[in-house]
Amino acid sequence: MDDLTEMLKGTLEGCVLEIIGSEETYGYAITRRLNELGFADVIEGTIYTILLRLEKNGLVQVTKRPSDLGPPRKFYALNDAGREELARFWAKWEYITSRIDKLKEGGR
Amino acid sequence: MKFWETITGSDLTRDWKAFEARADALPADYRAAWDQIKGHLFPYADFTGRNLTPILDGALGLLEETAADGQSVEEVLGDDIEGFCAALAGEEGARSYRDRWREQLNRNVARKLGQLGG
Repeated sequence: MDDLTEMLKGTLEGCVLEIIGSEETYGYAITRRLNELGFADVIEGTIYTILLRLEKNGLVQVTKRPSDLGPPRKFYALNDAGREELARFWAKWEYITSRIDKLKEGGR
Repeated sequence: MKFWETITGSDLTRDWKAFEARADALPADYRAAWDQIKGHLFPYADFTGRNLTPILDGALGLLEETAADGQSVEEVLGDDIEGFCAALAGEEGARSYRDRWREQLNRNVARKLGQLGG
């Protein structure tokens, strides 16, 4: 599906939080996960800027781990604030989708 | 940071030299992207450019990691390096000299208007 990126933008941060929430992971793996889900246009540069934002807002715990090849990788795990933010994201998502579904069904 | 370094900027020269040495080790297409990133980040520099150091360090780290993964630079950064840089600078809280000019102008105008309104 083309042109998903614009619609995805506001929710991408929540998606990244969800992925980090299920297991400690790193930028490339997050990008790959989203690509596998069908968001083919998501690139690592975008995920990198989101991870910076999460880090700046104190939602993730960052650990540097040596990698088999190349420089050490930064691994991300959710902290308590991150888990709260993720719960808020899903609550907002629930709200939006229920309203939009209603609109689509023509109800009020 | 040492006082001497603050005055002379010698720490900056050292950091930049280290960055260039790391960039030289990257594949050619990554080096080209690095040059573009630097170019797009300069407008966000403060007077000394010191605010850019952590941003450039992070961006270079991303390039190093992804080059080691064997990804192409297009896969990593897409075709919008300028947008990527704007996001980087925004997230790291870099403020440019333009922001300060804008603030100064706003302050001056507000003061003048305040005087007129008396």
